[in-house]
Amino acid sequence: MEALDELRNLFSARHDIVRDWKRQGKHVVGWASTYTPEEILYAASILPMRILGSPETAKLAHAYCPDNMCSFCRSCFDVALKGDYDYLDGFVTSASCDNREKMYDLWRHHVEIPYFYFINTPHTNTNTAHEFFYDELVRFRESLEKAFRTPISDQSLRKAVRIYNENRVLLKKLYNLRRKDPPLISGREALETVLSSMLTPKEVHSRLLTQLLKEIPQRDDPPTKGVRLLISGSVMDDAGLLEIVEATGGSVVADDLSTGSRYFWNSVDPTAESPLFAIARRYLDRVPCPFMGQSEDRFRHVQDMVKRYDVEGVIIFVLRFCDPHLFDAPLLKAELESSGLPVLYLEWEHAMTGFAQLRTRIEAFLEMIRGVG
Amino acid sequence: MSVAGNKRRLQTTQGFYRNYVKKFYDDAHRAKKEKKPVAWVASTFPIEMLQAMEVTPVWPENYASVCAARQVSLRLCEAAERAGFSKDLCSYARCVLGSIFEEKDLPEGGLPKPDFLVASTGACDTHFKWFQVASRRLNRPLFLLDIPYDTTGAQAPEDYQVKHYVTQLDELISFLEGQIGKQFDMNRLRTVERLSDRTSKLWMEIQDCRKAVPAPMNARDAFSTVFFMLCIPGSEISIKFYEKLRDELKERVKDGVGAIEDEKHRVIWDNLPMWFNLRFFNHLNSLGAVIVAETFSHVWAGDLNPSKPLESLAKKYLPNFANAVAERRINLILRLIREWRVDGVILPTNWGCRMMSIGMTLLKKVIRKELGVPSLILNIDSTDWRNYNEAHVKTEIEAFIEMLRRKG
Ligand code: SF4
Ligand code: SF4
Repeated sequence: MEALDELRNLFSARHDIVRDWKRQGKHVVGWASTYTPEEILYAASILPMRILGSPETAKLAHAYCPDNMCSFCRSCFDVALKGDYDYLDGFVTSASCDNREKMYDLWRHHVEIPYFYFINTPHTNTNTAHEFFYDELVRFRESLEKAFRTPISDQSLRKAVRIYNENRVLLKKLYNLRRKDPPLISGREALETVLSSMLTPKEVHSRLLTQLLKEIPQRDDPPTKGVRLLISGSVMDDAGLLEIVEATGGSVVADDLSTGSRYFWNSVDPTAESPLFAIARRYLDRVPCPFMGQSEDRFRHVQDMVKRYDVEGVIIFVLRFCDPHLFDAPLLKAELESSGLPVLYLEWEHAMTGFAQLRTRIEAFLEMIRGVG
Repeated sequence: MSVAGNKRRLQTTQGFYRNYVKKFYDDAHRAKKEKKPVAWVASTFPIEMLQAMEVTPVWPENYASVCAARQVSLRLCEAAERAGFSKDLCSYARCVLGSIFEEKDLPEGGLPKPDFLVASTGACDTHFKWFQVASRRLNRPLFLLDIPYDTTGAQAPEDYQVKHYVTQLDELISFLEGQIGKQFDMNRLRTVERLSDRTSKLWMEIQDCRKAVPAPMNARDAFSTVFFMLCIPGSEISIKFYEKLRDELKERVKDGVGAIEDEKHRVIWDNLPMWFNLRFFNHLNSLGAVIVAETFSHVWAGDLNPSKPLESLAKKYLPNFANAVAERRINLILRLIREWRVDGVILPTNWGCRMMSIGMTLLKKVIRKELGVPSLILNIDSTDWRNYNEAHVKTEIEAFIEMLRRKG
């Protein structure tokens, strides 16, 4: 499948592709949390690009970072120290967990990037939070206009909303193909497709996605049948873990990941009078990450997915030191188990070596489900 | 003959735990029995609002430190771990959740059950998540004060942030009225604020006394007596105590009496101590070092202006280095070094706390660059001694003090 190969390439060759894009005189801004309203950057003709880590050990970051922190954050910082993000014109992060907030200091002091911005994301979606966040986005828009000397009109915001929504709808269609048994696309392929969407100009990505959706029904190498699983967790910027799951007889058919369904599940209301207002609402009302107050909404999302995708078991992969997830995980686990679903809880570290122990536990879990079924 | 580092105990702080902390928990249990409202509060929450409503605030973080001092925190942390909460989470949170999951043999009879909980994101996101878990488990409502992150570290908060804070205080008033079933009394808040303002000012006078060489008070006393600032700032009893303490310190300063007999090194302690091992500070003293300032002692104070009761709470609580870019913390430490005549900084991390662990390397670098003062990053934990290697920490401290001596 050509489209799939190309999407994969967008992911693995991202730094080179972006350097090319920069040569055309365009700006690139890295964003660190899925609560960054990319539409606003896009409307300023900036390429918003997700900051991701690398599967290598974070050697350089070691001198600055303690052991007791999120290894994903550490890895992202390491990539920056290596100079792989030297093309960035800006770095935008948001209040979305203690790890990320504190890493903002290290980025500002140790990585040379011309523009830094921190968006104050509220932790709830009450009316007061909505009002505050709208104003916060007005401030963000003004800051970008000044720094990049481009006006950001409502019209360009509306266009960005349209383009972003289109991509979201296409990704949902792709996810629909996972409802079949066996699914038409593997968990690894789905994850890589979402990841590539975070790195590519959205029109380019949507074009490839459309092609992919056409190609898939005729694919001659569909995934094999396996235990239908949902993967829940924080961030996964590498398909390594899913590969292990799928190599041991699991079939990842749904997810609750910030680099998966949580990234694109909700659209912006395209009919709203103020596009900025609609954007602000979308980000606070979306399927939340656990630093937000409405954990119930996320749990409901997981339950809905379990039904929609005929899920037989859930693996909760929590990244060590990711506090918001660590607090939510026992609650989510209990809730799913009380509805009769087998749940496996695993802690992992980014770029970890020695997957053997994880593999053994996953195997045992799948055995158990098969035995029951 | 006098021995170097020999401690001289303050009169005022004798029996502090028994006379004040234990009494505080007894009173809270009594209030509960008498069906008066009790609330669980997280740090950086404007306690004055609760005091104005005659709610008894209890402070889970303080309770965790009590459990640590009594050497039972580990057992409680493990209880939380058995319930599925990771060993890597904040040990305060684990300890307190553990005391909910396994209620037997708790110091001071445990925390009285709350009628409701209040938290803020003003120190960390952990508070919010931890209180959320507690609120579900205890089936009591939680009010959240959502504090914007301070992205500039500027002196004063921006107007829009103050406004946002005040809006939420209005919501808090409705929440409290709903919970307690009586009207909020602004005048009572003003009275509490007057007392709280006085408490703060006294606390800062106490800190100022420690600028003297030799310093009249040590970290151990500071870490216990800060209790009033945290738990009951707006009360007569706090004021009385702090007045007495201040007078004793002034007396010492006048007579040139230090907390230890032979003060050689003046050191700052950032963040939290090992509550389970406050004796550690005696060891520092025996090396001729005295802690003259803790960043922890400098975040809680703030002026209040009762003629603008809500706005002034916003202005007191918004500036806080825990919820700010590193510059705010750096500026505080640099000021402490200059004014308290400090020659070394200890930067302890805390295994379950990102705020106290990430960025210490940056602090160390900037402090050295700006003032030529060395820092020591110490990996510890406030409450869970499995994350604390005493032999290792002692070796590092000794090497650090030795380095100060040679530099001196
Ligand atoms: S994985 Fe968790 S701790 Fe790490 S950046 Fe994401 S939310 Fe924060
Ligand atoms: S120790 Fe750190 S994580 Fe724990 S409550 Fe305090 S600030 Fe939050």
